[in-house]
Amino acid sequence: MPRIVKTLAAAALFAALGAAQSSAEVTVLGWPGGPEETALRAVADTYNKTAADADKVNLIFFNRDGFFDKLAADLGAGSKEFDINLLATYALGRYAPFMDPIELPAAASETFSEKVLATMQYDGKQYGVPTDLSLHFMYYRQDLIDQLLSDDAWKAKYTEIAKEKMGKDLAPKNPDEWTWDDFEATAYFFTKSINADSPTRYGAVLQMKNLLFNIMVWHSTARSSGGNWMDAEGKVTVDGPGFRTALELYKRLYDAGVTPKDSTTYEYAEANAAFGSGQAATMLQWNAAFGDLDDPAKTPAVAGKIGTVAPPAGSDGRFTHIHGLGLGINAASEHKDGAKKFLDWLATPAAMEEYALAGGSPALSATIIEKVSGKRPDLVKLGNFAGSYGFVMNGGTAAKALSVYELQAKEFTAYWTGEKSLDDALAATAKGMEDLLKQQ
Amino acid sequence: MASAADLQLRERRREGAWLIAPMTLFLLILLGFPLVLDIIYSISKVGFETLRDPEIVGIGNYGGAISDPEFWAAAWFSFRFGIIVATAQVLIGLFLAIFLAPLLDTRPWLMAILMLPMMVAPALVGLMYRLILHEFVGILPYYLYLWLGDSPSFLGAQTAFNTLVTIEILQWTPFALLILYTAYAAIPNEIREAAAIDGVRGFATIRYIDLPMLMPAIGVTYFIRFIDSFRVFDNVYTLVGPGAGGSTTTMSIYIYRAFFRVGDIGLAVAASMLLLVASFAVLYLINRLTARRKPT
Amino acid sequence: MTSSRSTMALRWLVFALAAFLMNFPVISTLITSLKSEAEITRYPGFWIEEPTLENYREIFRMSDRFDITHYLANSLIMSLIGAGLALLLAFPAAYAMVRFEIGQKWLMPTVVNLRAIPLIIFAIPIYLMYQQVDLLDTRLGMGLILCLVNLPLVLVLLATSIAELPEEIEEAARVDGASTIQIITRIVAPISVNVIAASAVLSFIYSWNEFLFGLILTTSNAVPISVGASFFFAASGGGVRWGVAAAVMMLATLTPLVLGLLMYRQIGRSMTAGAVKG
Repeated sequence: MPRIVKTLAAAALFAALGAAQSSAEVTVLGWPGGPEETALRAVADTYNKTAADADKVNLIFFNRDGFFDKLAADLGAGSKEFDINLLATYALGRYAPFMDPIELPAAASETFSEKVLATMQYDGKQYGVPTDLSLHFMYYRQDLIDQLLSDDAWKAKYTEIAKEKMGKDLAPKNPDEWTWDDFEATAYFFTKSINADSPTRYGAVLQMKNLLFNIMVWHSTARSSGGNWMDAEGKVTVDGPGFRTALELYKRLYDAGVTPKDSTTYEYAEANAAFGSGQAATMLQWNAAFGDLDDPAKTPAVAGKIGTVAPPAGSDGRFTHIHGLGLGINAASEHKDGAKKFLDWLATPAAMEEYALAGGSPALSATIIEKVSGKRPDLVKLGNFAGSYGFVMNGGTAAKALSVYELQAKEFTAYWTGEKSLDDALAATAKGMEDLLKQQ
Repeated sequence: MASAADLQLRERRREGAWLIAPMTLFLLILLGFPLVLDIIYSISKVGFETLRDPEIVGIGNYGGAISDPEFWAAAWFSFRFGIIVATAQVLIGLFLAIFLAPLLDTRPWLMAILMLPMMVAPALVGLMYRLILHEFVGILPYYLYLWLGDSPSFLGAQTAFNTLVTIEILQWTPFALLILYTAYAAIPNEIREAAAIDGVRGFATIRYIDLPMLMPAIGVTYFIRFIDSFRVFDNVYTLVGPGAGGSTTTMSIYIYRAFFRVGDIGLAVAASMLLLVASFAVLYLINRLTARRKPT
Repeated sequence: MTSSRSTMALRWLVFALAAFLMNFPVISTLITSLKSEAEITRYPGFWIEEPTLENYREIFRMSDRFDITHYLANSLIMSLIGAGLALLLAFPAAYAMVRFEIGQKWLMPTVVNLRAIPLIIFAIPIYLMYQQVDLLDTRLGMGLILCLVNLPLVLVLLATSIAELPEEIEEAARVDGASTIQIITRIVAPISVNVIAASAVLSFIYSWNEFLFGLILTTSNAVPISVGASFFFAASGGGVRWGVAAAVMMLATLTPLVLGLLMYRQIGRSMTAGAVKG
């Protein structure tokens, strides 16, 4: 018996040791599953070719689901599992207490504009290298819109449906000139249950799962209608007309069956699958989705037929939520020197150029973007959209910003699915946000 | 003689103490310590930043949990889910056990096929349905569109509950079937034969002979299925998460979210403690009931 | 009941329907895993137009990003620890409880009732405790938890089985001067080999399928396959690769499925005994 115990204990110990062996190098915790990961892998390979053994970087990725929860728990506990970790604009306030501010080398200001560096600043200090910028496009089926703009029968039907459903006189327009009214009318037109001649089953794909990222997508609509978290004095203003208009739009579209029935469980992946099947005419989605949707090997039904513009305009103009992803240093790290070396290198024009070519979405200064624009024309669009339409909600970097997103996700999805009235949902959101944003 | 036996007994008890010591120690460390931590954190104001020095604030967290309508909504969801699922599983399991008995008696391997669903991780089952129910890549909506021209929403706020109930029933009815079939097969044939001589046949046999003899097994199965369904987490989490507006927040998901998403450790732990107390209350009740029944 | 030919046919029909519906997720996932991505979006039905193993190959091509063999190895090791340790701890305890009537009053009910308590209650303090002792994200840490999860069932099964053994052999050995440890290891353990094996299989399967603690207590080094499988749902940025995800789920569930088919008798007996005796 004791021998068995010993053997087992040894086996267990061995297993435990085996699991913890990778701490000799600099470990980077990245954003999993997307082009960010592919790009980070590419530049890390390049870096490792010249780096000293002790400085080599080793990449790890958690699951996207619950990523920020786990990161918060690990950082809070002083985990030494990783030396560099992902940062996001909306989580800066939450993570800054557990991270070391950094001094970027002079080369960084060549690579990034001040505005982009600012997406990684909290309380006036720089916490990370801004690797990716995320914002929203309105994706649409170029082939269908072209026909809508040229086919007289379709045009007439469009106007008829707009009149019937919305009581407004509308004619098809170029997507780059759309207001939310045009978006709504187009969505009706391309929904089979409303227009039997529609070539697609749905006019739009909306992501309405109870998930904070979906609220970011929706914020582009809210902001363009004049909504904001707080006014200049710091008073919570979600209860205003801007949020109401945008919430009602989603609700109306969902109830009308314009977006797939299970949209309330859709997030990034499900929405792409729906749009990629060729059964939806438009989609509000992150810029990062374009590459795969346009790839004939992955989504043959829509590749080559996709147009992208900034989200439609509301009463306040045209807006897109922006946030940066970046990499910064874990305060509990035991390899800070090595970590700093990698980040310094990452912020150089050459590294970021490679990052962009490998599929990442960095917002780069004009001189560098020129060099990659041939292969990554979308990055030019990204930079332009961010500059022209980008916004961050007032309070969007606060320590409890993530909790605000969570709260809105819960309350707003409750309204969309009919679990709560609009007034109740907004009242609960306003009250919760006052508590969350006050606490700092 | 008596004292020698006494001595021997005492000796053995000492040995016995050594034999149960490892398990007891293990439980003390993995259950006792967490329980103490649970109690401390539940009366503290604590976040991820202050894990090591929680500030004791009294029973405010308990008040917070009790006055949180979502806590009660989650408790109600889990309770309703558990009752419906357990009832359906026992009824279907009972029907299958009796109806399929002639097949299973002669071909026991058929049971292996019916037991397979229990071998699959519930978390994976949730993921599998995420694929199966997807409108554009799933098998089920595909055939519904093909045959009926339309496919309903499976995971919307109003429908998710029914979908989850169905999934849970399909996966765990085999458990009820297994237990009830075993109990059914154990009923001596002589009893039925004797009843047959008295003119009891067909459904009357089931009603007056089998069912009463199956009652204890039915009770146990119901209880186990209820408990397992009440604490459901895996498949709900992987399939829909907390659901639109929190409409599929089970008790376990409520606690998970309070801890990780909202970072409100005190509230999460207080809710855990309330759940623990409730579990003990239920167990106590069950034990009392069965203890009273046993001697008869 | 008389079984005419038509009622027999009806029984087979009901059996087939039940078997199909209950196993529906596995069947349809298997089908999807054998289709190409293009076929899945074009035709998701039951028939496979062009069977392919491409999805399975793709999994291993992605191993630098999501290493499925690593997750499977994690699950294997932690399930072995979870099942083995539970047996090691419970066997002597069960013997002492049955033969020396020790701990019947408190220990036994506490452990058995553990099964009825939602484990999420302990998840948070265990997470906090593991942080202090560096057991987070380790196979050993997960193994210990799985042992805790398995203990109630294993203890009940072992205690029930030992109670049914005739005491005479042990008494004879004792008269011959054998110590209690010797009696347990040389006599009781060998004749209990069946129940030990059955408890081991069932605990192994339960451990393999555990999700909640895997989700909370691991991040990368010790991620079990039940958690790792969900990573593939977000593995490609542009959308879920449904075929690859299906293939991963099949691989993840293969071990318990095969065990279940091979050892259904033992598993069935353990489940029944665990339920009725607990």
